[in-house]
Amino acid sequence: MVAEDNAFRELLDDYVVECLPLAERVADAFVELERLWRAGESGDELLAAARGTLHTVKGNSAMMGLAPMQELAHALEDLTLGRGEAVAALLVEGAGLLVEQVRNAGTGGDARLTAAFLARIPGLGPQTATEATSPERRRAERRAADGAGAMVRVDFRRLDTLLEVLGEGLIEHSAVVEAFRRVSRRMGATDELSDLDRSIVALEKTLKRLESVVMSVRLLPVSTVFGRFPRLLRDIARGQGKRVRLAVTGGETALDKAVLDRLGEPLLHLLSNAVVHGIEEPEERRRAGKPEDAVLELSAASHSGRVVIRLADDGRGLDEARILAKAEALGIEVRSTDAAQVRALIFLPGFSTADRVSQLAGRGVGLDVVAGSIHALGGTIEVDSRPGQGTTFTLDLPLTLAIVRSLIVEVDQERYAVPISLVAETVRAEPHAVHEINRQGVTLWRGDLIHVSDGGALLGTSPATSATRRFYIVISSGGKRRAVLVDRLVGHQDVVVKGLDPTLGRPEVVSGTTILGDGRIACILDAMRILDQRVPA
Amino acid sequence: MSGDALLRFADGLEREAAAAPAPMASGELHLVTFALGREEYGIPVGQVREVIRVGEITRVPQAPAHVRGVTNLRGRILPVVELRGRLGLEPAVPTARSRIVVVEVGGRVLGLLVDAVLQVTKVPLESVAPPPEEVLSADSDYLSGVARWNDRLIILLELDKALLLHE
Amino acid sequence: MSHSFLVVDDSKLHHQMYKLVFTRGSLAGSTVHHAMNGREGYTLLAAHPELTLVFLDLNMPEMNGLEVLTRRRAERLHPHVPIVLVTTEGTEEDETRGREAGAWDYLRKPFQPADVERLVARALAQAQERSA
Repeated sequence: MVAEDNAFRELLDDYVVECLPLAERVADAFVELERLWRAGESGDELLAAARGTLHTVKGNSAMMGLAPMQELAHALEDLTLGRGEAVAALLVEGAGLLVEQVRNAGTGGDARLTAAFLARIPGLGPQTATEATSPERRRAERRAADGAGAMVRVDFRRLDTLLEVLGEGLIEHSAVVEAFRRVSRRMGATDELSDLDRSIVALEKTLKRLESVVMSVRLLPVSTVFGRFPRLLRDIARGQGKRVRLAVTGGETALDKAVLDRLGEPLLHLLSNAVVHGIEEPEERRRAGKPEDAVLELSAASHSGRVVIRLADDGRGLDEARILAKAEALGIEVRSTDAAQVRALIFLPGFSTADRVSQLAGRGVGLDVVAGSIHALGGTIEVDSRPGQGTTFTLDLPLTLAIVRSLIVEVDQERYAVPISLVAETVRAEPHAVHEINRQGVTLWRGDLIHVSDGGALLGTSPATSATRRFYIVISSGGKRRAVLVDRLVGHQDVVVKGLDPTLGRPEVVSGTTILGDGRIACILDAMRILDQRVPA
Repeated sequence: MSGDALLRFADGLEREAAAAPAPMASGELHLVTFALGREEYGIPVGQVREVIRVGEITRVPQAPAHVRGVTNLRGRILPVVELRGRLGLEPAVPTARSRIVVVEVGGRVLGLLVDAVLQVTKVPLESVAPPPEEVLSADSDYLSGVARWNDRLIILLELDKALLLHE
Repeated sequence: MSHSFLVVDDSKLHHQMYKLVFTRGSLAGSTVHHAMNGREGYTLLAAHPELTLVFLDLNMPEMNGLEVLTRRRAERLHPHVPIVLVTTEGTEEDETRGREAGAWDYLRKPFQPADVERLVARALAQAQERSA
């Protein structure tokens, strides 16, 4: 049971939210590992990843004082050093038990089950078991009983409004904190002020909790979008005379509805693209020694505030030679022969290497449009491929559109927010670090020469000479990098994104606006577009 | 009317405008007038939501030339438009008398930066004449008329055209 | 007087735990910055020279704790900000390497709020000594 005196036991729900997917991942990995070992493969990579995940579960369980999980994770970690069928079977069974224990963390876990399992591992003695009927367990049972509550349908726009109003509340709160700081500086410590301080802290906690509740209400499982794919895929495959099976995993992964709504189209396009271009005719597959039924794997998983969606086919893979030829025909200069960079060319406008224009692929929608929609969501898209073995598209998406962690920078007295997910580094600009080649700034960063733009020139303020700026930020995504010189790093903040009013036109360098803690408005830099386009400066 | 009294009065405009009878029927135009340079301009009261003091205006890079920036209106991001350029005047630094007239035009809410808000007034329809042919040009269709009344000359603006909303 | 802390850890749960410690008891009212990996942590460290203390997890994706320490030493980024290296059942070797890379102290999981408070108190005392 979670000891009553554990300082963190109120975080039990957070523990389950974080550790359950981790335990499930370990369980999946061990099932796969058993298969690999049987096939005579080492599975070392998988093993190393599982060990790391177990280590995290162990640490988290230890912090919560959840001994049954901690001991179990520890034992499994040790077990991964062994080999053989018996070990594999124990790993699979133990990971399954870990999933159950973590799921039932509300009861503190069942020490007897862990002890019984540990007793079966050679070289480990039986462990002491503890009775588990705690207040937590009773509370958890009550919660489970209450769980089947009533549902209510709400217009999503009202949730948007709710979040917006809440964001304003958070901003007001930081204004109060700011005012409080000024007052306490002037008046020194008094009892009334420390009371006020406590209330302000409590209010913040409540607001933050409210925020996470609102956010969780906005989240929907990706299966709401994936759900319609199997049928659509079957129709597309039939039309193409191909045989494809769709394997979906991670459908329960949650994503902000605003992101989900804008994900269906690009995903469907990738899906049909895979069927039309990636997967071979049954006859060709037979000749290549592949099963006639192709498999299209669609998976989703969340990872530290982001959701990764993967679409993998087992088709013919990208034809790099043909991509290069096409690039040449389009007059695109290809300087690198690096396979990854060659593959990335397919996201450029005008790229479609299909010989025959099919009904689906010929609708004038290219991968550049898909990439554009993903970028517009603040996500990235990458492609990997092996000749004859298949192509994998990986989409990395923010969990939500509404709130973005941002670095706040200052350029010529103006403040801008830059999404932290795209900031590779902030670097103090040493004098003479920026060179000029063909009137373009460049600097040496991690051994490569990268393009440096002056923030003032980019944003259209009077361009102070770059030499006076003290920092540059390196923005990076999908292999593209660019540095922007700024005057100051002001701090960072989770900003509530507000869209651009149509009256403001369509600026290329900013994607939205936000209100900072002091009530001032800052524009959000469209780092994706700055990277993508050759925005001059 | 003093500035503050006018602000208070303008706050109530929206309600009043909603209750006001249609101007054509009453034979009068109900206007909010403001100063830009040396001239007095008028827009229908019904389009005005409120008048606010000029707070910090944040510039938006690459915004159209007539957009001065955005300002924080009680947590809402309000675009602020500078009419001066459109009317052939140089941009000006806001003074203590400067105000932002918050208008709703074509479904959009935005602020007009003006040198001063002058009056909320009613002018008889008979006092309104089309602008003289000689001053018109190809792009001056935002001038809907001129009211001459009580020794004053009020230039009537058609906001949706003045703000280039249809471009 | 309010303090400001940076927590660099890839576990959301741990961020919640630090937050509990920093918003209650003697440290109530502190500002806490959160980074989910070493790279983000380094960016935030650069942006916040006023930090009282940094808690840096050893095992993380995208720059682990040792890499962060090594780089901050090489680039002499805010050397006055003390960094605590946090390990799970850390080995002596981990801790030695951490100290060599410039860690001010280390903290082993599982820790209790009192452990964190002790480290903060020591960091403050040291800062005062230096400025005196």
